[in-house]
Amino acid sequence: MASIVRTRERLDTMATRARVVSVLVGIALAGIAGTYWWVQGLHGPEYRELADNNRLRRFPIRAPRGVVYDRGGRPLAENVPSYNLLLEPDASNDVKRSLAFAGSILETDPEQLHRLLVAHRRERPVEPALIAENLTLAQVARFELAALEHPEFEIDVQQLRLYRHREQTAHVLGYLAEAGPQDLTGGEYERGDMIGRRGIESQFERQLRGKDGERVVVVDSRGRAVDEFPPVQPAPGTNLKLAIDLDLQQTAQRLLEDKVGAVVALDPRNGEILVLASAPSYDPNLFARRLRADDWMRLITNPNNPLQNRAIQNTMAPGSTFKPLMALAGLAEGVVTPQTRFYCPGYGVFYGHVHRCWRPEGHGSVDLRSAIKNSCDVYFYNVGQRLGIERIARYSRKFGLGAVTGIDVPGEKAGLVPDAAWSRAVRKQPWYLGETISVAIGQGPVLVSPLQMAVAMAAIANGGHRPTPHLVEHAAPMPAVAGIPASAWAAVRQGMQAVVDSGTGYAAHIPGLTIGGKTGTAQVVAQRTRTRAEDLSYETRDHAWFVSFAPVEHAQLVVVVFIEHGGHGASAAAPVAKGIYEELLKKRPDLRVAPPA
Amino acid sequence: MRSSSRSDPISGLLRLPEEAATAGIGRLASVRWSLLLVALMLSVVGAATVHSASVAMPVEYLPRQLAWVGAGLVVFLVTFSLDYQRLALVALPFYGLSMALLVLVLFFGQVRGGSRSWFAIGPFGIQPSEVAKIATAILLAQYLAGLEGEYLRLREIVTAIGIVLLPVALLYFEPDLGGALTYGPMLAAMLLVTGVKKRYLVIAACTAVVVGALGWGLIHDYQRERVLTFLNPARDPLGAGYQVRQSKIAVGSGELVGRGYMRGTQSQLRFLPARHTDFIFAVLAEEWGFLGVAFVLLLYGSFLFGCAEVAARARDRLGMLLAVGFFAIFAFHILWNTGMVVGLAPNSGIPLPFLSYGGSFMLFAFAATGLVLGVDFRRYVNR
Repeated sequence: MASIVRTRERLDTMATRARVVSVLVGIALAGIAGTYWWVQGLHGPEYRELADNNRLRRFPIRAPRGVVYDRGGRPLAENVPSYNLLLEPDASNDVKRSLAFAGSILETDPEQLHRLLVAHRRERPVEPALIAENLTLAQVARFELAALEHPEFEIDVQQLRLYRHREQTAHVLGYLAEAGPQDLTGGEYERGDMIGRRGIESQFERQLRGKDGERVVVVDSRGRAVDEFPPVQPAPGTNLKLAIDLDLQQTAQRLLEDKVGAVVALDPRNGEILVLASAPSYDPNLFARRLRADDWMRLITNPNNPLQNRAIQNTMAPGSTFKPLMALAGLAEGVVTPQTRFYCPGYGVFYGHVHRCWRPEGHGSVDLRSAIKNSCDVYFYNVGQRLGIERIARYSRKFGLGAVTGIDVPGEKAGLVPDAAWSRAVRKQPWYLGETISVAIGQGPVLVSPLQMAVAMAAIANGGHRPTPHLVEHAAPMPAVAGIPASAWAAVRQGMQAVVDSGTGYAAHIPGLTIGGKTGTAQVVAQRTRTRAEDLSYETRDHAWFVSFAPVEHAQLVVVVFIEHGGHGASAAAPVAKGIYEELLKKRPDLRVAPPA
Repeated sequence: MRSSSRSDPISGLLRLPEEAATAGIGRLASVRWSLLLVALMLSVVGAATVHSASVAMPVEYLPRQLAWVGAGLVVFLVTFSLDYQRLALVALPFYGLSMALLVLVLFFGQVRGGSRSWFAIGPFGIQPSEVAKIATAILLAQYLAGLEGEYLRLREIVTAIGIVLLPVALLYFEPDLGGALTYGPMLAAMLLVTGVKKRYLVIAACTAVVVGALGWGLIHDYQRERVLTFLNPARDPLGAGYQVRQSKIAVGSGELVGRGYMRGTQSQLRFLPARHTDFIFAVLAEEWGFLGVAFVLLLYGSFLFGCAEVAARARDRLGMLLAVGFFAIFAFHILWNTGMVVGLAPNSGIPLPFLSYGGSFMLFAFAATGLVLGVDFRRYVNR
């Protein structure tokens, strides 16, 4: 053992080295302490938040969305409970057995349920998996009965938006759909939230939505709830009452079946919209139930675009329905009087060009009333020539054409009122005087929507006030259409009554109800030879218009009908309006002036 | 006496040094008992934290931990009583025996936590790697203490490395990377204190780089994954990065004064993995905050300082090197584990002395403490 005890020289040197090593370790230990100070002392709050994110799971308590009613208090958009089946695999002793049990009740293949479970787990590993939606009450009852034996299943009740009248109110209400990426950026919506699209659902999203409540649950690392905070209750959305009359709306939508077109009916006294129909339509319930890809493809590949609300988004030449406005402009500007007569030989020559009247044999000598009644083109060519495009444009704008009406649903189109300035600015060419002649009978570049025509008709019907059309009942402004004398309004109304009583709009005639109306045809292609509409192919057929109000003396309803490629307004559009007035009379027999013969 | 012990080292092993009888209580009082006191304080902190960490577990680990502390004290008494100089006489057979155990465990051991490193003894498990650590430290100290010359020669350094390389290789096969790593600092500290020429230090630094690169290829996939995850915890937040991430959240959310005992959400709601063993310090940091961390780090600091002091005032090379070796093992465990918990070091299964739950390492820690204090006790005798 001499080797052990022998060597003690340089022990002090070694001791010094040992001390150096220990000092190095001490410095390292101080560094560790500093790191803890950095993490705990300086960044503690951030880590505490991360710890809270770990342990606190927030579950929204959905605020019930506001119910939308028609003017009679009938629900148009409502909420119904939908029962979904959740599976918490960690709470199950035997997941295979659980899935077999669920499969037997749902009458589905457990294999398929297993695939759903796996897919869900991959996406959201700690949350219970959604494996079935829209269970029947009988299925719910069977799961509830088995709750003791199968605690891993949970029935989740969600509010599902139901549009009871499906296609018939789709263009009024719009629909609910899952919030997309662009909605999530504002922080107001979260993945899985539903958001209103189009129509009332979109316009009044804020009011209808309410404010979701929240359940905050303390969970452990396996996602099991161990504690819960008092819940924040949701604030329900506001209910909305619409001016829509469900009976009239359904009638309009039914009359548009198999057609492409739109119907607008509004109350000329206040601008309340009773009918806002567009065809083809779609079932908004599809979106609320997480639209399937094939449904969506069918909607967007339909050449007639069922998602387009033609009542507010389709702008077309107004055709002859423009003539009452021209008559009012002419009377107001004094270029004609009700007694002024023009001779119609079936055509007129203006600025060196021949402009035909729709009736080749001509109307003979026509005054204002007969010009409106028979829709004489030559009469209005003359009025248009005397007014000139600037005055035509000015009066058109007074009636609200060329601008959005301010209806309380999104997506409205402004249309176009052409004038010289527009021509220079947009077309880069001067306005040709001959075009004024075309515009005078509602052809040429002028574009209007059915809703705009309804507003203009309302002003004629109520004698000079242009209402702001609206769906949700409220007092909306009704600015006066200035500069037109009362006698002018009366004269035009008389002419329009004659249209339905014995003129081109007789197809809308209803014994006992005084209706003022005007037919119109918007040319799709310029026709060199006159061909009967029925003989043309669908795409080249003209669009049919019918604008109207009733009763003439104290109008309560304006009805505007637009049928795409309908042919003539008289044959295609007027009968639709008639159907709506008939429905109105069922509810309002007091509007008849005399009992039917 | 010495001649008899030389001829019969085994019978002399368990005798108290005769000086104890002559000098009596006075010399016993000069021992640095604060080292044991600190170890016991840490054990109390550890037991309390193990209780908090395991209260929601199927097994409550507090009684077992207390039993291990009790067993540790017994082991302490034994190792304190053994004369390390006599122990050094049997260093080689002891080393050989422990290596045999390491080989045996590869074939007959139980697998726990992915490593075949346990012998089952009733309900408890014992890791022979802890015994091997002590045996290797003693053999290494004995070898280096017996050398002459101011500085180590290359052949001597290679021999020292060889002594360490055998257990490291065997641990590699278990695999127990954490256990294997411990030998590095131990070897380095003992060589440095013995005396290494600057030239060799430079060579060692270069070798470390090369070995590191080679080691990268040799370590197991999951170990490489751990290192990569350590370098970038966001790499796999639900897999290997999960532990580090959750641990750091636990530490940080403790803030200054902690969430309160048994009220740490990360620990009580089971977000922290291995919270009663390798990540026990995260539980402490979460529930006691920086104040608790600072307190325990101070305890560790004073413990390490005590070990270093014992080494520095030892009067023989063997005692000094033995104390330095254990100092290095303790320092490595403490620095690595506390660093790992706060995300400074990769997770390699290195427990925290006196705090982490676990019998073998607790026994090792008390045994090592006993040996270190034994060196201190015999500093006036063994010269």
